[in-house]
Amino acid sequence: MNLAIRDVRRHLPRFVGTAAGLGLLLTVVIAMQGIYAGMVDDATILTRAMRADLWVVQKDTRGPFAESSRLDPSVEARASAVPGVRSARPYTYQLIQRERGGAVMRIALVGLGWPDDPGSSLPLVRGRLLAQPHGEMIVDASLGLGIGESLVLAGERYRVVGLTANALTSGGDSVAFLSVADTQLVAFDQPAEAVVLERARIVERLRRTDLGRGQPALEELATDPRWRAPSLASPPVAAVLIAADPHRVAEVRRTMRSWGDVSVYTQAEEEALLLGGVVERARMQIGLFSVILTLTAGVIVMMVMYNLTLEKTHDLAVLKLMGAPRLRLLGMVLQQAWLLGALGYALAYVLGELAYPMFPRRVLITTTLAWAAPLATFVVVTLASMLGVSHVMRVDPARALEG
Amino acid sequence: MAEAVRAVGLTKTYVTGTTSVVALDDVSITLASGTVAALLGPSGSGKSTLIKALGFVSPADRGEVLFEGRSVVKDGTALADLSELRRRHLGFVFQKANLTSFLTARENVEIACELGGKGDGRRRARELLAYLDVAGRERSYPEMLSGGEQQRVAIARALANEPSLILADEPTAALDSVRSRTVMELFRKVAHERGAAVLVVTHDHRALDVFDVLYEMEDGRIRPATAAGGARR
Repeated sequence: MNLAIRDVRRHLPRFVGTAAGLGLLLTVVIAMQGIYAGMVDDATILTRAMRADLWVVQKDTRGPFAESSRLDPSVEARASAVPGVRSARPYTYQLIQRERGGAVMRIALVGLGWPDDPGSSLPLVRGRLLAQPHGEMIVDASLGLGIGESLVLAGERYRVVGLTANALTSGGDSVAFLSVADTQLVAFDQPAEAVVLERARIVERLRRTDLGRGQPALEELATDPRWRAPSLASPPVAAVLIAADPHRVAEVRRTMRSWGDVSVYTQAEEEALLLGGVVERARMQIGLFSVILTLTAGVIVMMVMYNLTLEKTHDLAVLKLMGAPRLRLLGMVLQQAWLLGALGYALAYVLGELAYPMFPRRVLITTTLAWAAPLATFVVVTLASMLGVSHVMRVDPARALEG
Repeated sequence: MAEAVRAVGLTKTYVTGTTSVVALDDVSITLASGTVAALLGPSGSGKSTLIKALGFVSPADRGEVLFEGRSVVKDGTALADLSELRRRHLGFVFQKANLTSFLTARENVEIACELGGKGDGRRRARELLAYLDVAGRERSYPEMLSGGEQQRVAIARALANEPSLILADEPTAALDSVRSRTVMELFRKVAHERGAAVLVVTHDHRALDVFDVLYEMEDGRIRPATAAGGARR
């Protein structure tokens, strides 16, 4: 006869209620871990998708994700000439916020080095790659835009031609992939009023200097409506991505590091910079929450198991008096704890399946998390039952004779 | 008649701080198989301590207890597995029925069958409940049973392992006189029909005629009782 099952059957509502509470706690604990895993995956998907051997960024900066990097676009041509380099592509990255249908959209614009890179390394789930250098974009499905829909950025209309899955930044913002030229148009776009004012400022400065007074043609040039001052210089890029011959990556890196205006990171270093800089604090925060919640769940299970055992003190004394082996009584407490854990985890699993997709941040249940969560639950409920187990050990069968 | 249990020179002293109380003072008693004995005496006379010693629950400091002729406890030291002995050969009935609260009447008896190593516990539990006229309540939890029914189930549980010795500690204290007598007669029936030795601690002098032997305890000492009744003393 299984005493644990008999006891649970007798106190079913309370037991189920406790399991439900534990299940909710586990749902949150697993969600925390899943959000962290999702955050790491989201953060690194951008670097992974680019499939670069080396990231060339502004000197002494930590790359385009951890901090701002402005690189002269000529670096692309310079890099292409380095022996061992198979290709060099410009890369831009910027966050924008727009309103659409009354809702705020935060979008990370990532520039693809058209025509070499039409987005062939992206996790495309629908649509196609970029087919022209201007006016097209591939967006993440989380943005809510469908194929054929368009978005106006810097006065230009960009049509969605492809959808990706889970292309998010470490901050959870959806990513849109455009050609580098298009992202630069968006980045350096100025309203007409700003252009007029800038022209006026240039004319004013020219009139105050000998240069302007000596060369009136300069003033004409500055006031020409076809001339937009910023476009005199090529806009900077955030990074240049290098694909090198596999056995010459170190050599290429050494060469580029000797340049005075860039820093060079491998793919792994770029990911580490991203995780260390952007995700580390979130990881510690989530880790701390998880530990606190796990301890809370453990303490709750411990107190429930202890109270359940305490209530049975007299029953345990009688059973001991009747000669019930101690192991059988310990087994009863442990089996109840395991059953509680199993029910709690099952509930957490079902709730997770239903609720996690609705979370604003992606909850990624990795393979490790999928087996670690039930294992951790088992360990926690086993440890939590130890107080009850020690009580069983201490119960004196003589108590049964004490009325 | 065969001897079920024999205690020789049991002495037990409880010490609390600087105070010591002699609960058993050189107590010797023999319980024969197939007889039902009553143990009388005022509160604090040592009855429960003797029950604990004879039931291998809490051994005496000095003296020896022999079970079916074999020395089991001597001078506070167990010479056998006492838990195993209780499981296989002893039955207990308490003042309150002390049924396991989360088991039904049948399961209370069934678990005792199982612990006692008696096969087909469910069938045997049903037979015992029928024997004690509570067959109709086998699915009821203890709290759903009357005091008398609970005590019958408790007796059925005590019989589950076919014990050689049944120890009952004031089993009728919570019952009215009619039910009290019925329970005492059940003990007599069990002793005579099943050959068990039964020792019943009681304050109830109205049913002493049911017992074969009467003992009385006072200040930790035991002597044959002087109470009236049909019993041998």
